[in-house]
Formats: sequence, structure tokens, C-alpha cells
Amino acid sequence: MKKLTSTWAGLLLWVLGLLLVPLFADNNWIFIMSYFAIYAVVSLSQDVVLGRAGMYDMGHAVYFGIGAYTTAILNTQYGVPILWTLPIAVVVSALFGALLSAPIVKLRGDYLLVATIGFNEIFHMALVNDVGGITGGPDGIYGIEAPSLFGHQIMSQGGIFVLNWILLGIVLLLMNNLENSRLGRVFRYLKEDELAATTLGVNARYYKILAFALGAGIAGAAGTLFTSLLQSVSPGAFVFTESVTLFAIVIVGGQASIPGVLLGAVLMFVVPQVFRDLAEYRYFVFGLAMIVIMVLRPQGILPRRRRLE
Amino acid sequence: MSLLEVKDLKVAYGHIEALKGISLSVEEGEVVAILGANGAGKTTFMRSLSGLLKPRSGTIQYDGHDIGKARADAIVGLGIAQSPEGRRVFGTLTVEENLMLGAYTRSRPEALETRKQVYELFPRLLERKAQMAGTLSGGEQQMLAIGRALMAKPRLLLLDEPSLGLAPIIVKGIFSALRDIRASGVTILVVEQNARMALKLADRGYVLEVGRIVHEDSAKALMASPEVQEAYLGKGH
Repeated sequence: MKKLTSTWAGLLLWVLGLLLVPLFADNNWIFIMSYFAIYAVVSLSQDVVLGRAGMYDMGHAVYFGIGAYTTAILNTQYGVPILWTLPIAVVVSALFGALLSAPIVKLRGDYLLVATIGFNEIFHMALVNDVGGITGGPDGIYGIEAPSLFGHQIMSQGGIFVLNWILLGIVLLLMNNLENSRLGRVFRYLKEDELAATTLGVNARYYKILAFALGAGIAGAAGTLFTSLLQSVSPGAFVFTESVTLFAIVIVGGQASIPGVLLGAVLMFVVPQVFRDLAEYRYFVFGLAMIVIMVLRPQGILPRRRRLE
Repeated sequence: MSLLEVKDLKVAYGHIEALKGISLSVEEGEVVAILGANGAGKTTFMRSLSGLLKPRSGTIQYDGHDIGKARADAIVGLGIAQSPEGRRVFGTLTVEENLMLGAYTRSRPEALETRKQVYELFPRLLERKAQMAGTLSGGEQQMLAIGRALMAKPRLLLLDEPSLGLAPIIVKGIFSALRDIRASGVTILVVEQNARMALKLADRGYVLEVGRIVHEDSAKALMASPEVQEAYLGKGH
């Protein structure tokens, strides 16, 4: 019953946001809400790997970046319309997620974490050094088109916002389904006790790679929207500290908790945008908040609620 | 042909050889006990049977399959289930959810049928079915671990130290349930430090010492053997 009400409350919030923000908010706010939608999607994708499947992925910005660059390259080099690049970005990111994770999923938590940091550093260096001559080096890629729908370019901030908000809605729906699906339960078993799950017949390696691929694919979709929102990409958005922030959002907000992760995304990405003058203090304030929360409330601000049937 | 036939099994962690050539067999319908002190290699042996560790050399034949190189999850599908050392129940799931998870490889109607049998075997689990497994007593958790393994409807049940950390009276209850399980036709391979309980239940036994089998006999003969009495049953037995 409680579960149902919170689902409806979430749906109501989503619809209200979709309808009201483009009507009443100024451009700055619309931008912030678009920005939030994108980072909320990335945070939820981080949560698939970290909060649900329990793997300490501290290089998640890589998959976000692969999606963003896939869109940027396809659009500027080959003239592929932005929305067409979305499924490609999802597939490419998911493939990288599977390929990169395959050799490391057998590692224990802390070792896996270090390996994923390595991926992030290599990815960033590759972008900066313009590997293959397609990433544009340290400046990144500029002059990306606005997305178009049925031949009409979506130029307004409001249009972009609606697009991002719809993706957020789809991902929220997906997360809600994952929560109640067999796949979601398998992730939880692996997180809680991989050995026990294996002895009951769960193919741990397969499902752990699948968690990475799923998380990476969703992050890739967010990457496409990120590129179309800013109409440019550069390596700075996909550095290791971004991965750390995503990791912290999940831990501080609440692992495997949709409201928790959304709240974390608001705290880490929206609040600094609103209080621009204070943005420099972001890491100081949040660093402090992280310490306090981990000491007082290690399960996160809004922990996953246990459903008892 | 034996249900399980292990030949010259060697398992190593890096340079340290934990099993130095183990050969044993288990016939269908039998209860076989493996006795040994801490560090003898009992858990290593169990883990190689269930596919969690890969042997360095030697073969493990189960029902005509060579399972030495098979994946752990595939082995469950072949009919080998285990109650792992330390019980390893899912503490944040209910008793019933833990049981259903044991039937991961089977269909839901089959699982519900087996669940009924498990509840008959361990009525305590039925009483506590909606309780989080983490809040159960040690003995109840052991019942749950065994019940969960039974949910896979195994032909061969592997039990790793079912008496570990339990009071003698609880251990008695567990072993009496194991007798019922054996009567239902399940073959059991049990690894134990509690030699007396294990030998009372078993048909045959092996004694493992630092990675080697040093004795092998019927349970009765082992119980009567002076060496086993000295080392595992305590003096004055």
C-alpha cells in the first residue's frame, strides 16, 4: 500500500514537472531542470552497478562520456541526427560496459574499485590526446546540432527540457520494474552474498557483466542528452572526480533507493547550480555532509524500504 | 557406477597445495562423512565439488559427467546442492524468500511442492517463514541452509559443517532431520568436525589430514578404530 502511494506521488511529481516547468520557469531554471534530469539518469545508472548489484564502480563517468562522444562524433562527422544517435550511444556504451567489466568482475570490491579508476584515467587521457583523431583533444567537440523531431529542430530550452524529462521518466519506469523483477532480485542476491547465490545456481559472472552493461547503456543515453543540451562535449565532464561524485550520490542518497538517488542528484548537481556563488564551496560542504551522513546514517539519507509481503 | 567418483584430486591456492590427491567415491543412497580437523582441506574439497574452486589436476565424475571444470551454477542444475560452511543465508530476506531462492533453477510449481516437504521436515521454518533470516537463531539458520539446498531437489546433498557453532541439543535435532532426508532417497556427503554425530549418521567415512585421506572405512569401523577415537572422538569414549 505504502509502496503504491509513493509510486503515484512520484508519477504526479514527474507529470507536474513536465507540464509546469516549461510554462512557468525562466530559462535558467529550465536549464537547471534539464541538467538535473540528465544527472539523475546517470546517477540511477550508477546505482544499477553500485547500489543494486553491489560492485564498487568508481569509473562510471566513462560510460556517460562514451555516450556523449558517440553522439558528438556521429553528429558532427557523419551528420547523424541527434535522436538517431541515442540508440547507438546506448549500444556502444553498453558494449564498452560489458567488455571493460568482463575481465574485472571476478575481483573483490576494493580491487574492482581500483581497476575502474584505471579505466577512467585511461579514458580521460584518450580523450585529451585525441586518440584516433576523433575526440577533438582537450577542447572537445563543438557545433553539435540541436535535436530534431519530425524534421523540426528543438531549439528552445523548453523543448530540450521535455526531451530530457521524458528520458528520465522512462529510466524511472525501468528502475521501478527492475526493483520488482527477477533480474533485480538476482542483482540483490549477488550483492548480498555472491558465494551463496552461486551455490544456488546463479551464474554470477554473467549477471555481473549484465549489470555493468545495463548501467553503462543507461549512462550512454544520458550522454546523448548531455551533448545535445550543451551542444558541445569536452573531456572535463568525464574526469575521475565526476565518477567519485556519482559514487557518492548513490552512497549518500541511499543504495538501490530511487528517491534516495534522486535526492542525491539534487544535492550534488542542482543545489550548486542554484547557488552559483557558493558553487566553489560545493566540495567542502558536500565533503562535510558525506562524513556526517556516513557516521550518523550509513544506510543513506533515504534508504531502500524493505517491502514485506 | 558410483554417483560421485573423485580421482587423485589436487587443488591449490597459489603455491600452497590444499588437497594433495584425494580419491573417494559415493554410491547412490549412501551417507558418507569426511572427518578432519581445521585446515585439513574439508571446505576446499567441498568447494571443488560444487565448482567454486577449480582443481589443479584429477577428475570429479558425477553421474557420468566430468564436473571438474564445470561452472558452479551449472553443477546445481545437474543435481548437486550444498549447504555451505557458515550457513550463508540471506539475512535481509525472509525465510520463505530464502527457500524460494534455493529453487532458482526450477519452475515455481515444482518449487512450491518441494517447499511443502521442507516445511514438513523443519516445522520451525514454517513458524518463522515471514521472519528475516538474519534474526533466526544459529540452529534455525542451519535448518534454513539445509532446507534451501533441498529446494533445488538434489540427488547429492553436500553439507559443510552442519554442526558448526551449535549447541549439542540443536545438533541432535539437525542430524535427526538429516536421517529423514536420507530416508527420502537423497545421497548425502557431509563434512564434519563433530566426528561422533557424523559417524552415527554415515554409512562410510573418510578421514582427511592436511590434504590427504589417511583412513577410509565403514562408519562403524572408524568409530571403533583407536586412532580415530584418539584424534576425533576424545579419550574415554
